[in-house]
Amino acid sequence: MENGKKDILLHLYGDSTDASDLRTLLKDEELKTEYATLSEAKFKLDHMNKQRPNQAVIDRILAAAATEAGLPDATSRRDRPAIGRNTQLKRVLIPALTIAAAIVFGIGIGWFSASPESVSPENPAVAEISPNDPVPPESLFRFVPSRQNGLTQASTADPRLAWDEAATIQDLHRRIEDMRPTDRLDWGERAVPLESVPGSNGNGLRLTGQKK
Amino acid sequence: MHPADEVLVLRYVEDADQAAFSTLVNRHQERVFGYLQGMVRDREVANDLFQETFLRVIKALNKDRGSYTVQGKFLGWVLRIARNAALDHLRAKKKWQDVSSLNGEEDTSYWDRLPDDGPSADVQLHASEQNDLLRECIERLPEEQREVLLLRHESDLTFREIADLTGCSINTALGRMRYALINLRRMMSTTAISDLTEVGQ
Repeated sequence: MENGKKDILLHLYGDSTDASDLRTLLKDEELKTEYATLSEAKFKLDHMNKQRPNQAVIDRILAAAATEAGLPDATSRRDRPAIGRNTQLKRVLIPALTIAAAIVFGIGIGWFSASPESVSPENPAVAEISPNDPVPPESLFRFVPSRQNGLTQASTADPRLAWDEAATIQDLHRRIEDMRPTDRLDWGERAVPLESVPGSNGNGLRLTGQKK
Repeated sequence: MHPADEVLVLRYVEDADQAAFSTLVNRHQERVFGYLQGMVRDREVANDLFQETFLRVIKALNKDRGSYTVQGKFLGWVLRIARNAALDHLRAKKKWQDVSSLNGEEDTSYWDRLPDDGPSADVQLHASEQNDLLRECIERLPEEQREVLLLRHESDLTFREIADLTGCSINTALGRMRYALINLRRMMSTTAISDLTEVGQ
């Protein structure tokens, strides 16, 4: 093909890089006619409608692309069970249940600690008591809750407490009676000077300012 | 800004991004299908070849990843696959025609002798729009000229890319294009004259 005709074609399609100027080329009548002929045909081709394949073909291609790439296609995504949703539910539900269980456990512990039935170190007399142990005197006037132990079982069998007749208590009571003075002072009498108390010779005691 | 073909190919191959592949198909469907239909001159066959082309593309991208190595030439690579599919079809069709000729039958293909319930060629031309007339004329072009014209106008390839794809020199590609345009204009003028003649009668 002649260079002039080749350059005309390259100009026509915009591919001309170092081709000679179009105006110079078109001064030639033959090239001018060639340019007009080619331009007319090209114009019709440029305005030709584009054609597309059927949509079903496109869908089949995309499904194949998903399968080959290891992805579930649109159809299988619709049909499969909602595994993802279950997993998400578990992710939320398990921590929530754990927190709820911890709160309930904490409330239970707190309620148990605050209740009078609870066993605590501050109440050792009750906590450590057993049917065979001797009962200390300071615990006699304390409230002893009803518990399923030896004391309760004895009281249910007999209205008297089990320690009423304990030998230790009776012995203790006798010692208290022995220690009690025979001539007791009446708390309502006037104060009596020490020198006037019978049996007092003043040897053992001195008044303030008194010399030996 | 639209992502380049290479970016979309990487997204599909590396990340299994189906949307990226869908974009590629939608972007190039007219270029590939227009070429195929112009070559085989049958819409149903063109649909089959289009599907076959992209199935080969999918397989090549996923399993034979080494087959696509030319960066920035995705459309050229797809068109090469489409061209091979079209040439396979045309060779198979020609084989049928040759077998018919060897049997001493008429010099027409098996497909041409199938009963045609449609209107005659002349009536079809009259009924068709200008666009259909143009396509009819393209179909009547010699195969080599038609291929260059389709690759340029339907697939938007440069003459250098056309030369690379068809295995000829750029001068040969330009020469084929020039003859295709001249023949096309002549055919359309002839058709227009015959139309006017028939209208006058």
